[in-house]
Amino acid sequence: MTVSEKIQASRRRFLKTAVHASTALAVPQFISGSALGYGEAIAASDRVVVGGIGIGNRGTYDLGCFLQQEDVQFVAVCDVKQTARSRAKATIDEKYGTKDCQTYRDLRVLLSRDDIDAVLIATGPNWHATAATMAAKAGKDVYCEKPSTKNITQSLDLAKVFRRTGRIFQAGTQRRNLPHFEFACELARTGKLGKLRTVYAHPAGMSTVSSGWATPEPEPAKENVDWDLYLGPAAWRPFNKQHLDGFNFEKGGGMVGGGVLEWGSHCVDLCQWAAGADTTAPVKYHPPQDGRLEAFYEDGVKLVIRGGGWMPLGSCPVRFEGDDGWIETGDSGKFVLSSPDLLAGREVEEIGGYPATFHVRDFLNCVKTRLAPRASAEVACYAHIACHAANIAIFLDRPLTYDPLKNEFVGDDQANRLRSEALRAPWSI
Amino acid sequence: MNRSHWGLLGASFLILTMAIEFCCGAQAEPGGQTQRDRESALVAVLQSDAPKAEKALTCKQLAVVGTAKSVPALAKLVADPELTSWARTALEVIPDPSADAALRSAMRSLSGRSLVGVINSLAVRRDAKAVEGIAAHLSNADLQVASAAAVALGKIGGNTAAQVLERALASGAVAVRPAVAQGCILVAEQLLEAGRDGQAAALYDKVRTADVPAQRVREAIRGVILARRSIPLLTEQLRADDEEMFRIGLSTANELASADVTESLVGALDRVSPARQALIVLSLAQRDDDTVLPTILQAASRGSKNVRLNVMQVLGRIGDVTCMQTLLDAAVGADTEISEAATRALGALADPKVDAQVTTRLTHANGRLRATLIDVVGLRRIQAVAELRKAAGDADPAIRSSALMALGATVSLHELGYLIERVTGPQYQRDTKVARKALLTACVRMPDPEACAAQLSSAMSGSSLSAQSALLEILGNVGGATSLATVGKAAAGDQVELKEVASRSLGKWMTPRAAPVLLELAQPTADQKYRIRALRGYLRIARQMKRTDAQRAEMCEQALKVAARDDERLLALKVLEIHPSMDTLVVAATARSIPSIAGDARRVTRAIAQKVGGAAAEVLKLVENEGFSPAKIEIIQAHYGIGDDTKEVTQVVKKSVGRLRIVSLVSPDYNTSFGGDPAPGRAKQLVVKYKINGAIREASFMENAPIILPMP
Repeated sequence: MTVSEKIQASRRRFLKTAVHASTALAVPQFISGSALGYGEAIAASDRVVVGGIGIGNRGTYDLGCFLQQEDVQFVAVCDVKQTARSRAKATIDEKYGTKDCQTYRDLRVLLSRDDIDAVLIATGPNWHATAATMAAKAGKDVYCEKPSTKNITQSLDLAKVFRRTGRIFQAGTQRRNLPHFEFACELARTGKLGKLRTVYAHPAGMSTVSSGWATPEPEPAKENVDWDLYLGPAAWRPFNKQHLDGFNFEKGGGMVGGGVLEWGSHCVDLCQWAAGADTTAPVKYHPPQDGRLEAFYEDGVKLVIRGGGWMPLGSCPVRFEGDDGWIETGDSGKFVLSSPDLLAGREVEEIGGYPATFHVRDFLNCVKTRLAPRASAEVACYAHIACHAANIAIFLDRPLTYDPLKNEFVGDDQANRLRSEALRAPWSI
Repeated sequence: MNRSHWGLLGASFLILTMAIEFCCGAQAEPGGQTQRDRESALVAVLQSDAPKAEKALTCKQLAVVGTAKSVPALAKLVADPELTSWARTALEVIPDPSADAALRSAMRSLSGRSLVGVINSLAVRRDAKAVEGIAAHLSNADLQVASAAAVALGKIGGNTAAQVLERALASGAVAVRPAVAQGCILVAEQLLEAGRDGQAAALYDKVRTADVPAQRVREAIRGVILARRSIPLLTEQLRADDEEMFRIGLSTANELASADVTESLVGALDRVSPARQALIVLSLAQRDDDTVLPTILQAASRGSKNVRLNVMQVLGRIGDVTCMQTLLDAAVGADTEISEAATRALGALADPKVDAQVTTRLTHANGRLRATLIDVVGLRRIQAVAELRKAAGDADPAIRSSALMALGATVSLHELGYLIERVTGPQYQRDTKVARKALLTACVRMPDPEACAAQLSSAMSGSSLSAQSALLEILGNVGGATSLATVGKAAAGDQVELKEVASRSLGKWMTPRAAPVLLELAQPTADQKYRIRALRGYLRIARQMKRTDAQRAEMCEQALKVAARDDERLLALKVLEIHPSMDTLVVAATARSIPSIAGDARRVTRAIAQKVGGAAAEVLKLVENEGFSPAKIEIIQAHYGIGDDTKEVTQVVKKSVGRLRIVSLVSPDYNTSFGGDPAPGRAKQLVVKYKINGAIREASFMENAPIILPMP
């Protein structure tokens, strides 16, 4: 095997073991295991002690990604559902061959443990921002599933709290750490496509959704399902088991949830990265016409959120077009280029199925290096704002102008009112 | 608003209707009579005996459109533990000062969680008039209330709040102190943002020296460093024994771009453990500061392995031609991990002077250094084909392999023949695998895929079966018409080994161009094994790729005709089902006559009919009564309107007609589909002149009627 083959093979191994980090400038960067001091046996002091909050379907997947990491010691789980707590504990205890994993119903108890360095938050979206900021204030680093915020104000608060506390935040937008998406965004961001004109994202639906108020049903015993904690910061409503699907409960801002946020937190986020717009958001939003929602960045780059017109490259596709070329890619791990020259001799690893392992690894590396991970609170803040603003344009069904410096809509009081909502006491951010 | 979907489980439709009218109406008539009437209607719901669900959702509407008029009714709900946060959602955003007053009033009468909520809402509104009232709650016996009050004061900020919090930090109840510290941090942050650095630093200092949770102390230390630009305090953290203090020091340093911070990091490098050195190197590397390069280069030679690995990585990103020797030394060193990191870094150096240095050094290099430089030529895509060809014939297999890979990364179209020859007639058997990989690397980056495919195709004849298989695989990756013709020919040929490779390649083809080739291979006369594979590939195109409704329907129709097994027939039905249209409806309905899948076809037909609505029922009737054979249709002209008020809509109708006499508009509403109403309030007609199977006909349709063009 030649050195260049070795390098390629080594990079593949490297990606598979996901030793991989980025800088605050979001420049792709790789850090080897040895460089972080865990190439061989890992000392207890080098382990990241992790607790999980909300370990349902997605949380179970994320938990698996964490448990694959040799420098992680997962010590506790918290869930308002007894079945979820028990299932997660069984998985963790089986991994370590012990019965040591502690279980909690209330996240405040887990967060009060001094021995926990970082938390995985995979509750329903209703809790994400509140739990993440509580964790940061308790001195924990946070890997938090997406969508990470319910509205524009929460997005801004999230970024502010993590800046203030100096804690590490990684939103669960794992496509930021998959080679084909990285490559596509890099081509766009570094001018390889010429002047960037249009970035495309696939929203998987544009209907705005409110969870509302379901028919009351008898509340289960607190130990089985703690309904009050499940609601958490969401406005009160009576128990109904249909609400227990965290995926659909209070997905967005109550009034204007759903919409482009669910998938937009992935694919609009990638467009933000491609457009070099990680610290800003589009300034103009038009409600959808013929299945296309168009928004515009201040520099004129157009963001198109559309349902159709994609190549067969898997789910969550994105496409970036510049004056000199274009690239389209999706979850298959494959991509199509306007010209093979854009590869410039590079080999881009094809990893289909959008695994989160690499993203989790990036997070853990940054826990150690204190550099910003790819989907830091700042980055997630503006990607989410772009989605929330688009949702508000869909909801109000009129064009909106957004000022990303003042973080307000220009001349539209109703849109501005939709930037936030009250949290149920005692919760706050 | 009409695009919004409300997942209201049991909530009132009345509220939904009002919400829709309200937002649209409010936009059309800002401040007008209608808006006031509508707000009155919403307020009336709050004041009525309506179920709580309706009141809750009404609060949300008032959050968007409520005025002072809504405040009293909302204020009453604040005391209701179940509706309190619904009401606060509106009160937090209604701009009128009466909302502040209502919340302040509620603060005087409530307790427990409801009181916490009200205090939080006053904090959101940053109501300075509430400071005194909130401050009184710092001594509330309920710790949640007292803590909420402390944080709220921090959010509101201002001198009075700051003084209250400072006093509480010094002499307040111990249990509330963590929240008081949080409040102080929030006030200090506002002072810092306002440029009042001295006051901010003083407040941060008070927190960092108080007996408060460690996280608050760290936040205060960060604050002091930022407010005072305090390098000594930063340096102290970088050298602190406490790992968390080191971390806050490092992350704070990353926030500051100044040269003195860089110096502090450089200064700390020699005084900390190797583990911390590695992290400081990474931190230095992200500073946009050329002065760090010598320090990092120094660390490359004397640091621990951890440090050296990080150095290699960062040099690739920030280094220049002066780093070459250091990197080459590391690349030919004994440690494989460091060697590979150094080679990667040499490939990544952005300095254009590096290319000339690599080429010059290559002409004199031997052994390991030569192989490394060849790898770097490939990684950097340096044009050195003559030198690489020479190296590709070297006696040393490692140098040959490196050279072949580098050629793969650098050859142009007219030099491709050399790599093709290395695949079809390898000089060294052990080079076969790497030569194929190099050829693939070269071919997929060729700017003219057709010319590339022509070279590969012509190399097929006379080559061994193994080499032909390799060429076919590469052709599949290149794509285009020439590749398709060659791969298609191999798939239809007699050589089993080639059929295997070619049929797999066609099944993964990235463009719909492969469809006719696959359909041909799926005919009953073809080999059974490859026939099934081809049909599945054909249906993959129908399912996944961009096709018009008519094209997709026709593909499924063809697939149903040639399929030998129900598995593939059901796949075709699945494609029809996931792409509902009038065209796919007809094909699904016709498939009901295939006995073995009749049940599934009926289910799919029903599903499609339900989704497409409109003329589906009539289409199904036609299918049942007279069949619905495809026809050649050409739209000549189409007009929509009445009398003189008509508009030409020929292009819209042209785009919407398939081969099945059905015009599928984007909406059943003609006005929407044709871009507006040409004669508001009057009954209109669509008149279409068209040619069908050679005969010219004209047909008229009443507004919004299903459009099925009659046969001659």
